[in-house]
Amino acid sequence: MPLLKRRSLLAGAAATLAAPAIIRPAWAADTVKIGCLFSSSGTMANLEGRLNYITQMAADEINASGGVLGRQIEVVTTNPNSDWPTYAQMGRQLLQEQKVAALFGCWTSVARKSVLPVVEQNDGLLFYPLHFEGDENSKNVVYLNSPPASSVLPAVDYLMSGDGVSAKRFFMLGTDYVWPRTINKILKGYWKSKGIPESAWQEQYVPFGFSNFQSMVNQIRSFASQGGGQPIVVLTVVGSSIADFLREYSNQGIQPTDLPVLGLDMVEADLEGLNTASLVGNLNCWAYLQNAPGPRNQKFLADWASYVQKSGAPYSPHVAIDPMVSTYDGVHIWANAAKKAGSFDVPEVRAAFAGLEFPDPSGYTLKMTAANNYVARGVFIGSINANQGFDVLWQSKGTPTPVPYSQYS
Amino acid sequence: MRFGLKAGAALAAALTCLVMGPVRAEAAPDRTAIVNEVCAQGGQGLPQAADQLLTELPSATPDDVSWANRVVGAFSHRQLLCSADGHGYIANGAAGLDAATLVPAKLPDDAAAPFLSLRARIVLERMEAALALVSPVAPERKLAALDTLQQHNDSVPMALVTMAIAQSHDADVTRALRRFGVLQGLHAPDTAQRVAAIRDLSQDTTSDTLGQLRSLRDDPSYASDPSVAAALDAGIAHVQLWVRVGNVLALLYNGLSAGSILFMSAIGLAVIFGLMGVINLAQGELIMIGAYTAYCVQQVVRAVAPAYISLYPILAIPLVFLVTAAIGIIIEATVIRHLYRRPLMTLLATWGISLLLINLVRVGFGPQNLKFITPSYLTGGVSVVGDFFVTWNHLAAIIFAVLAFLGTLALLRLTSLGLFIRGVTQNRDMAGCIGVSARTIDMLAFGFGAGLAGLAGLAVAPIYNVNPSMGTDFIIDSFMVVVLGGVGSLVGTAIAAFGIGLVNVGIEPFYGAVAAKVIALLLIIAIIQWRPEGLIAIKGRR
Repeated sequence: MPLLKRRSLLAGAAATLAAPAIIRPAWAADTVKIGCLFSSSGTMANLEGRLNYITQMAADEINASGGVLGRQIEVVTTNPNSDWPTYAQMGRQLLQEQKVAALFGCWTSVARKSVLPVVEQNDGLLFYPLHFEGDENSKNVVYLNSPPASSVLPAVDYLMSGDGVSAKRFFMLGTDYVWPRTINKILKGYWKSKGIPESAWQEQYVPFGFSNFQSMVNQIRSFASQGGGQPIVVLTVVGSSIADFLREYSNQGIQPTDLPVLGLDMVEADLEGLNTASLVGNLNCWAYLQNAPGPRNQKFLADWASYVQKSGAPYSPHVAIDPMVSTYDGVHIWANAAKKAGSFDVPEVRAAFAGLEFPDPSGYTLKMTAANNYVARGVFIGSINANQGFDVLWQSKGTPTPVPYSQYS
Repeated sequence: MRFGLKAGAALAAALTCLVMGPVRAEAAPDRTAIVNEVCAQGGQGLPQAADQLLTELPSATPDDVSWANRVVGAFSHRQLLCSADGHGYIANGAAGLDAATLVPAKLPDDAAAPFLSLRARIVLERMEAALALVSPVAPERKLAALDTLQQHNDSVPMALVTMAIAQSHDADVTRALRRFGVLQGLHAPDTAQRVAAIRDLSQDTTSDTLGQLRSLRDDPSYASDPSVAAALDAGIAHVQLWVRVGNVLALLYNGLSAGSILFMSAIGLAVIFGLMGVINLAQGELIMIGAYTAYCVQQVVRAVAPAYISLYPILAIPLVFLVTAAIGIIIEATVIRHLYRRPLMTLLATWGISLLLINLVRVGFGPQNLKFITPSYLTGGVSVVGDFFVTWNHLAAIIFAVLAFLGTLALLRLTSLGLFIRGVTQNRDMAGCIGVSARTIDMLAFGFGAGLAGLAGLAVAPIYNVNPSMGTDFIIDSFMVVVLGGVGSLVGTAIAAFGIGLVNVGIEPFYGAVAAKVIALLLIIAIIQWRPEGLIAIKGRR
């Protein structure tokens, strides 16, 4: 992994400035930098750390086929240490000192919100790979994943339908920050619009990195036994809390057939190290699942496995998660847009997004329009299987047009 | 979870209009019809088919039952394949069987397993349980099946229960079946039967039962009969009492287990900071190293003697203690020894050590969470009374904390090493004068504190996520516990840990986990204002 090599870069920059244009080192003209803002320590490390590697893998792929506009991509990684202000600080460094052409980064919405003013002031471009709460539309952020209208609501709808479990009552458990709070606000608005009374739901929040879910699970059990229809849990805790919650949930002997959990931030990687036999049937919803059908996904999984072998990344070669694919898509979309624009300048790249399409590993063809920087993705609902993965329970016919601002919030 | 009942009723209605078709001469299960029903809409017809099978089961022959078991088992293992034209097959290696007749048949190319949706799982779980009642299986399986059916309040045809009672050779199973049959009488027209069913139901004192009884009270046919209504009120009062008792016990238990984790993370610090006065910011990392050592022990056991893998936590206890104690002694001998008179420097130096250890482990093991094999005796738990549920991993943590507390107390109070440690910490120079080697005692005491922190890492491994930065989660809490309990007092540390644990879990249900943390901290500030020395102050020359 090329880390921030400040000393060598300074030396390089000095050399570049000092030398006449004609004899500048060849690499200076031949590379273009992109920056990563993913933590490799702290509560998000296990998830975000993978995204550094996948960015490099996508860049290698593009470099192998000749690079972008005749230049090779150089990936600059950082470690914001799961600390939200550090994301902004490192983002500013990447844009101002490293002069990166694009940023790929952030998992939690609070990290994105803290980087947002930085990319807006410097007119940078942040590719954000997570599905999120929506209600934001910046010209400096490319929203690679889905807003609630095309991810969370279809999944909740499914659980409320006869095909799901005819859910009538809802326990919302989330980490205390902007994403879970906004998602739950939208959900409450949605249920109100369906005429569901306020007594049918309950909301609880825990701090970041919370791990002792004993009394929360007790509360969920007593909520479930109050009667009034099939209850479900809408889980919006993030990071290492997800595995902690699932462990307590199965230790207290709750069956997914009695009380299913819809884990909105739950990915394949959260199940590593858990015995999922007692969790089979719990659900998640994303724009990609590892079990997505199709040859493009097979190729992606094989590429990742061999990349892990080659690079010695400390992650499982057999696990792929949505944000990995979204980041991978993001690098390709950026490269395609730059090729189309014939430039790395942000305004021109941005103008080139309209009408861009990219067939990605999920099997769908991603589309962008002139209306905003949102990417239209497919929708998957997954169901935990006994092998620490998710089976595809349902998937959308096409790619619904993303709606940035929810009518329910 | 009244879903079972309602769905049962709804499906029964659906059944009458959907499945009946031509009246069959004999009532034995029509295998072809059932299989076709399942496969008709790619698995969507499963609930109807299941209901049909359930109603026809009482007249089934043992042969029919074994066929039904075969098909249901195949469905839940995704070995039941449906072809596009709606025929069912069972995958049998590379070859196939016709699902209706079980004769070998060639699998069509388009045969695919219907997807197991959550709803299908619910139906299959219920079917497997119902079938187990009338299949020749072990009594334990039958009892488990009855539990499953009861939990979901599933309605099973009375004839099926009668058939199962007739077939049962085991007294326990027969009794459980009778009881189950009585419970089915909740909706029977006969008053005596209803009262008996209510009494029986009230024996199961959970809030599930409470909800069920309350919903019965709203049923007009129940309220109209005074004897039934009286039985119902008595039942509700009884269950309510035990649910309340269970809630109080659950609160105590949760507080105890949260407290035991706090105590384990603080006990090492109680020795190092409490007795020796060293502000050790690397304490959390010693906990982390304990957990990583346990992981290494697990890996070695897995490689050398996979058959004994479930015993690795016990084997790890001495090893974890020794490894972390050794690391503690190295830290003491190389760094802290030179800084005893400069507490501020100790603070910075130990902070540096903590960063060093985190990054060393990150380089060596990677930043991801470690996979621990949780032995079967540490997963799951048992329901005690009401909604009070004892989980084994938390129970083990409590027992472990109690043992660690008693062991440490015994070492400090009863052994000569403990005497020396207390002597050196109370008056270093005087202890030196009477021939105690203060340096050696410092080293041993620090090593002991570090070893205890390592044991904490072992204790939290099955409960928390183990990664290089896990230690930072513990450091603030453990200082809080030691300061609140009274610096230098082990008993104070224990009281403070369980107090904070109880306050935390007591507040959580009402104001949420975030507020619970805030309120607990405010309480601690208030107590420190009132008793600056902590809950239990040690008098002595320090």
